[in-house]
Amino acid sequence: MTPPEPVVDVRSLHVRFGEVEAVAGVDLQAYAGHATALLGRNGAGKSTTMRVLAGVVPPTAGSVTVAGHDVRTDALAVKRAIGYCPDVGGLVPRATPWEHLQLSARLRRLDDWEARGRDLLERFELGDVAHRVTTGFSHGMGRRLSVVLAALHQPEVLLLDEPFDGVDPIGVEATLDVINDARSRGACVLVSTHLRELAIQACTTVTVLRGGSRVATVTALEMAGEEGARAYRGLLD
Amino acid sequence: MPTVDSSTETSPSPSVATAGILAESRRAVADVGHLLRFRSSTLKHRSTTWWVMGVLAVATLALMTVPHFVEGAGNSDRAVDLVVLMPTAFAGFLALAIAAAVASGGGRELLSREHGVAFPVSPTTDYLGALLLAPLNIAWILQAWVLLGSMAYATTSGQLLAAQVGTVLWLIAATALGQLVAWTVEWVRRSPRGSLTVRMLGLALLGAAVMLQVAGLLVEALESLPTLSLVVGLVQGFTVRWVLTIAALVALLLGATALGAVPAHLAARRPTRDEAKVESGRYAARAVARSPLLALVRTDRSSIWRAVPMRRGIAVLAIGPGLVALAGDLDWAQMTILPGLVASGGALLFGVNSWCLDGRGGLWRESLPVPAWQVFTARAYALGEFLVVGSSVTLLLAGLRAGVPSVSELTALLCTWLIVVLQVVSSAMRWSSKRPYAVDLRSARATPAPPASMVTYSAKLAVTTTMTSLVFSGLARTDHPEVSILAAAPFVLWSSVRMLHARDAWVDPVSRARVVTTVAG
Repeated sequence: MTPPEPVVDVRSLHVRFGEVEAVAGVDLQAYAGHATALLGRNGAGKSTTMRVLAGVVPPTAGSVTVAGHDVRTDALAVKRAIGYCPDVGGLVPRATPWEHLQLSARLRRLDDWEARGRDLLERFELGDVAHRVTTGFSHGMGRRLSVVLAALHQPEVLLLDEPFDGVDPIGVEATLDVINDARSRGACVLVSTHLRELAIQACTTVTVLRGGSRVATVTALEMAGEEGARAYRGLLD
Repeated sequence: MPTVDSSTETSPSPSVATAGILAESRRAVADVGHLLRFRSSTLKHRSTTWWVMGVLAVATLALMTVPHFVEGAGNSDRAVDLVVLMPTAFAGFLALAIAAAVASGGGRELLSREHGVAFPVSPTTDYLGALLLAPLNIAWILQAWVLLGSMAYATTSGQLLAAQVGTVLWLIAATALGQLVAWTVEWVRRSPRGSLTVRMLGLALLGAAVMLQVAGLLVEALESLPTLSLVVGLVQGFTVRWVLTIAALVALLLGATALGAVPAHLAARRPTRDEAKVESGRYAARAVARSPLLALVRTDRSSIWRAVPMRRGIAVLAIGPGLVALAGDLDWAQMTILPGLVASGGALLFGVNSWCLDGRGGLWRESLPVPAWQVFTARAYALGEFLVVGSSVTLLLAGLRAGVPSVSELTALLCTWLIVVLQVVSSAMRWSSKRPYAVDLRSARATPAPPASMVTYSAKLAVTTTMTSLVFSGLARTDHPEVSILAAAPFVLWSSVRMLHARDAWVDPVSRARVVTTVAG
């Protein structure tokens, strides 16, 4: 039996911003129906890797394909395939949640999206603020709406960067549901976080980054419990 | 949160209270120094900034002296006319200082609200910072240059130094007075129904000006302004009256500076209602846009028109010059200066860093499947539309008394309008990609770029649009409208080429990633 083709295939990825090398040779494969966590300390290169996968930041070197499309040569096709929750903000300040959904739906040529949009807003307890501008949102509300926007069009690849950061338990629960739904319909999910416990809960595989490079890829079970915590600390040091 | 004293608390004695206020004031002044050093250390192009400052200082010194040695200075009819106009010009400078500070909610921030939240910055420090930044504004600089240059030309031999010392003092005192008025207006604006009160006050002032104009009393009113005795006291050389005038100016400067801290403190205790109204308001859902481009334009439009600094700024820019033109009874040829003025000012509200409209949402927007050129087109269109709306209001007001324009005048005006909007949009879009900044435009006091960059941008825009307007002002006086169209062609072509270069810079993925990640903060 031939092994499945990775939906996300990153080989020797390098990203430089001037003198700073944010990502220094990451290799990563993620598969359909699986959720992969990117774990690591601040500045490990998790968010930059996610931005490359989302087609937002072009790679400096290395090859990156997402859903069969090269991010360097076919970024538009990559953007059609992914749903992305960025690590910071991710919301247009003076637009309402509903206007965000409308823009996404229009640019993705979605039909009959409104019922799903409403349902997602309700699940993330954002129904009451659907027509208020996002400037006044709390950090947690912003995170939750970013997950809704990433999940609206049921993308082939779901990229969630720090989706649990500052989110209350109901929001965490709803985000875990979105990840499970995506996996069950065969989507490839990548979750970048520094919260080990939630990464284990949400994902099947864990890739640990340190200093812009991958240091390990293990199953989520291997990162669980006290033993996993010790192993994780060992990988970070 | 400030609370009233309880019955068991004793009020401090007046001497203790005064000592406390003095200590706080000293601390606030010292903090301004700390913040200035912090801001200057974060400048990306420090050498360029110092170079720009040096050029401005040399230009100011030149304007203060050179006109004095031009033929006719001090004794020609033109010099006498200038002396007669100086009191009105002094009052006009004060009006500008007040309008600019009121429109920006008390003045610009030395440290943005978002960045300053972690530091114990007192309202006095904030207010002194706004006072210090007030001159870093092209309208302030140009008006100051006009006053200093006119004074240099108008004064007779041997009186230059006395007059210029007084003029410089007036510039500073009027700026401080402007801050005092602006913070008081801001305090009122932040009260319940404050916005309505301020608007009614503005309308009342406007009504009074219109009444004076209609009754033919405007010139009489201008001649009775207190600035008349001020100018008289300055242009007669080092006399006793000059000493008294300087003493009065120093007292005005110190008094206004000290008193300005009071409304600044009072305003700081009140919520910013205009901004809160935008943030808590509900916006009814509309039908999905017919095309992706329209969807992008709609989002950009919302980002612009829902921002307090943009709405307030364009209102002042559109109405102010329009009313001045109306009162001054400008003819159609002179009106060619107006679209460039409004368009330049409008671009300085956000356009010079136009990608900051998306703020932290830029990363999400960049992940949406839409060609980069469409995003650029939508943003440039939304900016152009904003500038056209503002300048339309100005031209409408200015044209009320100007009668029916000739074909030449109308053609020249329309050509100027098209060209300056194109010039401003292409420059703004180019700068937006070249030097992006992470800016939160929530506050009415926010600017899209640091103060030094704002001065550079405004100077460039002012020079370009004024030169263009002067060309077409001359063409408006000819009998050949087709000449304006022919003259417009190279301007339009040049601006279009620059716009395409700006688009290419945005379409480049590496350049775009730098912009998006920078404005996302």
